[in-house]
Order: sequence, then C-alpha cells, then structure tokens
Amino acid sequence: MSDLRTFDGIKLTAGREVVERTRRDKSFLISTLVTLGILCAIIFLPKLFGADDPKEFDVGLVGAASQPLGPALTAQGEAVDIRINTSQPASAAEAEAAVRDGSLDLAVIDGRELVAKAEVDEQLNLMVQAASRAARAQRTLQAAGVPPDEIQTALAPPPLPTRSLEPVDEDAQSKRTIATVAVFLLYGQLIGYCFTVAMGVVEEKSTRVVEVLLAAVRPVQLLAGKIIGIGLVGLFQLVIIGVVGLVLATASGAITLPPDSAGTIGSVLLWFLLGYAFYSSMFAVAGAIVSRQEELQKTATPLNLLMVASFFVAFSTSIGGADSTLAKVSTFPRSPR
Amino acid sequence: MRRTHAQERGLYPKMRVRDQLDYFARLHGLPAQEASSAADHWIERLGVAERANDRVEQLSLGNQQRVQLAAALVHNPEVLVLDEPFSGLDPVGVDVLAEVLADRAADGIPVIFSSHQLELVERLCEAVAIINHGRLVAAGPVEELRHTGGERRWQVEVADASAGWASGLEGVTVLEKHNGRVVLAVEGDEQRVLEAARAAGRVTLFSAVQPSLAQLFRQAVQA
Repeated sequence: MSDLRTFDGIKLTAGREVVERTRRDKSFLISTLVTLGILCAIIFLPKLFGADDPKEFDVGLVGAASQPLGPALTAQGEAVDIRINTSQPASAAEAEAAVRDGSLDLAVIDGRELVAKAEVDEQLNLMVQAASRAARAQRTLQAAGVPPDEIQTALAPPPLPTRSLEPVDEDAQSKRTIATVAVFLLYGQLIGYCFTVAMGVVEEKSTRVVEVLLAAVRPVQLLAGKIIGIGLVGLFQLVIIGVVGLVLATASGAITLPPDSAGTIGSVLLWFLLGYAFYSSMFAVAGAIVSRQEELQKTATPLNLLMVASFFVAFSTSIGGADSTLAKVSTFPRSPR
Repeated sequence: MRRTHAQERGLYPKMRVRDQLDYFARLHGLPAQEASSAADHWIERLGVAERANDRVEQLSLGNQQRVQLAAALVHNPEVLVLDEPFSGLDPVGVDVLAEVLADRAADGIPVIFSSHQLELVERLCEAVAIINHGRLVAAGPVEELRHTGGERRWQVEVADASAGWASGLEGVTVLEKHNGRVVLAVEGDEQRVLEAARAAGRVTLFSAVQPSLAQLFRQAVQA
C-alpha cells in the first residue's frame, strides 16, 4: 500500500464530501432554495402588507371650538411623516358613529373631549393633545389682551438647534438589519453543517466504512477532510444566500448598502470560518463517541445548547446595539451601532 | 461465523457504486486515471456493471457483496485476506469470485480466506488450516492432510465373504461397512489386506479412497 501524503489524503476525503453533498444529494439544492424563499419572504412580505406605507389618521373635528386644531395637526403630522386627514362631522353623535365604524380614528368634540373606539394610538394622542394645548393657551392669551404676534412667539418658538458630538451614522438601521440577518444565517449554517459533520462521522462508524478507510488514510486526514469538505459546502451555500439576499434587499429598497459593508460581510465570513472550525470539531467528537445515529442526539445536545445560547447573545446584541455591557464584552472586532 | 449486516459492509450506503470504488482506489494512492479504469474493470469483472451508477443501498444483498469484494480488489492489494467471501453469493457469483481469486493467486498474490464451503476450499486452495473453537487443529497442504499418520484408506468389496473378514487384521480399522463393501484405514502395507481379502472370497473391488476435506474436518474436530 502506498502512503498517501497528508495533503492528498485530506484533498481526496474533502473532495468526496463536496461532491457527495452537492452534486449527488438533492437536499443541498432544496435547502438552498428553501432558505432563499424564506429570505425573500422576510424582504418582500412587509412591503406586501404595506408596513412601509406612511401612517395615516382620520380625525373628525366637531364644533367651532375644535376647528383651530386642524391646521396645527396637519402641520405636526407632516413634520413626522404622518398624514392627518381632518373632517367636520355635523354633530357629536355623527362623529361618534363614524369612530365606532372605524371611518374616523379619533373625534374632537367642541375642543373639550376626545372620542376614540378603544385605545388611542399613542402618537396621534400626543399630537392632538399638543394641538389642543396650544389652541387653549392661545385663547387664554387672546382673552388677556396679548398682541397676536407676541402670542405667536410665545407658543411657537423656533426649535432648539442640535449639535452632535460624533457624526450621525445614517446607515445604522441598514447595518443593524444586515447584522441581524447575518446572525440568523450564521446560526442556521453552523448548526446545520456541524450536525452534518457529526452525522458523517457516525455514518462511517456504523457502516464500518471507517475500517476500510483507516487502512488507507490516517484518522487526522479523514477528520480534516470531512470538516473542510462539509465546511466548503456550507460556505458555498452561505455565499449564495448572502449574495442573493443582499442583491434582493438592495434592489427592493429594504436596505441601503452602507459604503463600508464589505467589512461587515467579510466579518460574517470570518465568523463563519471560526465558528465552524470550533463547533464542527466539537460535533465530530460528539459523533465519534457514539456508534449509532440514534445515540447522537445525546452527545450533541450540550453542543446544541451552547450554540443556542451564543445565538441569543449575538441576536440581542445585533438588535439592541452595542451599548449594553453584554454587547461590549461579547463583540469583536467591532459592532454595529 | 460473523454475520455481516447490510449496513455494515464497509461501504457508504448512499454513495454510487462506481464513485465509491474510484474513491477507494484513489485513497490507496492510485492516480485518477488508473483508479477510474480499475473501478470499471472490477465492476465489469464482478458482474455489477448494470448497477454502477446506483447507490449501494439500492442494491440486493448479493450485489452489495460483489461491490464489497470489488472494493477489496480495486487497489491491487499485495495480499488478500477475506472473511467468508463466498457466503451469501449465488452460484454464479461463487464461480466468478472463485475465478477471480484463482487468477490473483496465479499472479503471485497470496490469497487467504475463511469459508465453510469445503468442496470449494478443496477445489481452490493449496493449503488449509482447520480451526475449531479458536484453536488450530490441522494445517498444511490438502494432499498432506489426507495422509496424516501414514494411514491410507481402501475401499474393498469381497463377494461371498463372511461379514467379519477384515476385523482382527493387524493395523486395520474398519471405518464403514455397507452391503459387503467396507472402508478400511490401513497402516503400512496394503498388500497383506488384499491377500486376506482374497483368502476370504472373490475380490470385486479394491481401490484407494481420497478422504474429502469434509471428512478430514470431521475427523480433526472429533479428535
């Protein structure tokens, strides 16, 4: 028997894994398509359900005392991208009926009372209350004989200018979205492909193929080949999903790619490699200490728990930003703000 | 005898037959080209060419065994050690494998295998070893085992002889007695037995008997 050089042995065993798990196994294609489908759903469903449309409220103003609120509300709404349509129901009863059937979100009765179906939308409530406060203050000041231009200065002073100490990151939202999706993808790829490594090890043991293989290659070649081969398949799938996902999300306007996104994407790939190297070796051990696939669940469970725990740390960090202590101690080299 | 389960064949159940043999050949250091032609050669030789692109798990047990044998042969091993290679094969498969093993042996490659099919062993092997309960009870070339202890067997038929003509002869043991025909184990010169037979009656048959391997086996195990 000729001795295979270490590299050749690894190359052969890795090559087998790649070919068997992509070209020879339909489940690779299917799982890639399913993941892409889920990603498309995440990107396009909110659009379909109108989550991106600007908010719109219908407010009924009953009685002369309510009318001054109209222009103020419309102006306030415009400032925060909310459209507020005002109407003038003839009576309080008519306004109430309109609120009850949902054609009005809120009715203002004679400038004294707000009528809502159940709970008032918090944002709308704040705006109506502010407009009402201003209108009442104006009436009081007018009654006290303050000249109209002084009332104007008193009630609508120019807003305070804001000075940011650090440049505002306008891409923060996009970065956070990318980080969150990346955490999900990494978790899925790692748990899927590391378990595949464990299954592969058990398969070789339970079929006794390993007895045949070890006559030709050393265990370290076999293990390295298996981990590298399956890892390449996982990386390949991650790249496909990542590229398609980014292209779709950018094209649909769900995110705008920040100029330094190459770094973010690079770090996702780096973390895949590091995470995979660690977990796949651990899962290989989990596979090696049992002899049948039914027993694998027992040894793989602690590793699954470890993975789920890390996933939650990463997930809460990507959602909550980098200011928490947990985020500070658990992120490296840098974290999305 | 260790029963080999279908799942424990030393083959990847989900891998295709040709891919698998090619892979094993390359693992043993054959260059890609040679590995591929060796895989094709053994697929053809062991009669599984029609199933070459099927997964091993889709094959019948007999065909799986043929693939398993192909996997053992594909990298031109310098020595062949096979555990019960014939068990589970159909008669055609047995013939094919017997031919393959004889060819390998003719090429100067030592072939060692275990089997319970003693006629086959007798036909194929130059030397045998009989193992009973883990202990070697007899070993050597088949021809030699047949003459252990300088004892030879003769089949004798004597017409009109009295039943016990052979008993009482020195160095002679009666092994079988059947319708006036006896099988005798004779130590030393057989001519005196022939003379005793002629004295007893009309000798119609006197011939040497080659004990079969099965008989040698029984004898060795009983001893």
